[in-house]
Amino acid sequence: MTRLLRGVAGERAFRWATLSALVVLALFFVVLVVSMFTYTDWRTFLRALFSAEILFAIRLSLLTATLATTLSMLIAVPAAYAISRNRFPGKGVVDSLLDLPIVMPPIALGAALLVFFNAPTGSWIDERVIKIVFAVPGIILAQFTVVSALATRLLKSTFDDIDPRYEQVARTLGYSKVEVFFRVTLPLARNGLIAAVILTWARAVGEFGATITLAGATSMKTETLPVAIYLSLATADVEKAIAVICVLILIAVIVLVVLRRVANRVYRI
Amino acid sequence: MIVIKNLSADLGSFHLKDIELSVVKGEYFVVLGPTGSGKTVLLECMAGLHRIRRGEIWIDGSDVTHLAPEDRQVGYVPQDYVLFPFLNVFGNIAFGLRRNRRSQNDIKARVDTVANLMGISHLLSRSPRSLSGGEKQRVALARALAPSPNLLLLDEPLSSLDLQTSKYLRLELRRIHDELGITTVHVTHNQMEAEEIADRIAVLNMGRLEQVGGPDEIFFYPKNEFVSEFIGTPNILDCDFCRNLGQGLVEVHCGGIVLIIPHDGNSVHRIALFPRDIYISKTIPPGPEVNRVRGIISRTKISPTSVRLAVKVGDNELLTEMPHHIFESMGLEVGQKVFLILKLRRIKVYENKAGG
Repeated sequence: MTRLLRGVAGERAFRWATLSALVVLALFFVVLVVSMFTYTDWRTFLRALFSAEILFAIRLSLLTATLATTLSMLIAVPAAYAISRNRFPGKGVVDSLLDLPIVMPPIALGAALLVFFNAPTGSWIDERVIKIVFAVPGIILAQFTVVSALATRLLKSTFDDIDPRYEQVARTLGYSKVEVFFRVTLPLARNGLIAAVILTWARAVGEFGATITLAGATSMKTETLPVAIYLSLATADVEKAIAVICVLILIAVIVLVVLRRVANRVYRI
Repeated sequence: MIVIKNLSADLGSFHLKDIELSVVKGEYFVVLGPTGSGKTVLLECMAGLHRIRRGEIWIDGSDVTHLAPEDRQVGYVPQDYVLFPFLNVFGNIAFGLRRNRRSQNDIKARVDTVANLMGISHLLSRSPRSLSGGEKQRVALARALAPSPNLLLLDEPLSSLDLQTSKYLRLELRRIHDELGITTVHVTHNQMEAEEIADRIAVLNMGRLEQVGGPDEIFFYPKNEFVSEFIGTPNILDCDFCRNLGQGLVEVHCGGIVLIIPHDGNSVHRIALFPRDIYISKTIPPGPEVNRVRGIISRTKISPTSVRLAVKVGDNELLTEMPHHIFESMGLEVGQKVFLILKLRRIKVYENKAGG
């Protein structure tokens, strides 16, 4: 086998083999999309799309994802800067801890949240401060739990890429540490910040496992777009599911286009 | 002026040990040393960018040892300039001015002045990315000078430029220094650069000061082997007799060696010759018998890049240097009698100044 595949012929065969894999994969996704459209017709599709339930899900998803992203960024920007610029004992442990929520299944995170809100402290918060379990704030908290570590991770690599000498020069030009952060570090991190916001937001929009565990799947109440797909399929309303899938595809395409244009490079999620 | 007392600092693998140094107000001071000698760390300590383990730094009569960089009023030009990419040239130069809430007109006037001084007025609307190395260096200097600092700190300001630009900017740096009269500390590994630009030089090695002095002092009176080797191991001859022959020629006698050198004056005290400017011959070389001496090879030292021969001439021992292939083809060995030809043009002369 290895002897047969030597030289120019081997090179050609290898190229064909790898290219075929690529074509198969691309075709696979094309078939998936096309099959959806053969299942439904234009009018049913539009009716499903503009139904009160789906419009509600779109609005709820955009709202919760935006809030969860804002919260995540408020925490992640300083946290990422801290871990990027400081050396302290236990930094390795904190660093690994941040990887955990990225690797862990969201449903497990959601379950952990649910357990917390059934324990004394959690249930006190749930009853006295803000209703979390099976409520909209629960969606935001679930999304925050899943995406905040990702935002921190993305921003850490952005800050790592910024030469500290920019900050040093600015200090010698009369700016305090805080002023330097806002006037030099953040402008230098601009593209990384935008990319982090977009990726975090996209991840929050798609969050399902933690959301459904903590906030439940109540139609027209805690029904985000992914939950809407789940509910539609549960009631065998395939047209509605297709409408939601199309909305999610549209969001994904917009995210990718904006990412490429703004950040001018492909970010791995 | 800057006074550094008993300074010790650590940064990763770089250590500074017991640095004692003072830089006079208005002086152009060069810190010279090889890579890893700690010269950048020393500069950054003056800028306030490192925590200091022990010792004190005083600038213009006040203790700045524990002062933050923003409170020191120093102009700092890091290696590779580090211009802010999100601002244009104007924005970069104006950056340190905006801190003081000056009016827009004030800022513009100051930027124009500094840009004029640096000869970069035509670049103000450009992005730093589009500039050449020399232009970036000027912008970085302008940015540091704009807020009128008390002290200018330059970290290898010429090392990443091509030779021609670097030589030109060397003169420019000196001109700007003289025009503004600003105390300047310039860090470099280039001995020629240091010699040409400095009022005084500090030679730094492995975090320790080896010698501090004027360029001539460092060159003609290297304190130890490291300094001598770092400046190219020149042959240094003490002269006991000196006579001006007119027409820019001087006859000197140095421990039995009679030389005629291009120089004006009649108080030549020491002369220096680089090993590669002394040629060696087994037979009597043709041509006039000027600056030619006989000697006996006393030692050979073979290094990866060249061969060095020590030749005993009267009381002196002269060091010569040649490429391997010439050494091999000439078949030279210790104990052999040879003729040395001393290249006239490259002889350096130390005049007998006060105390010299």
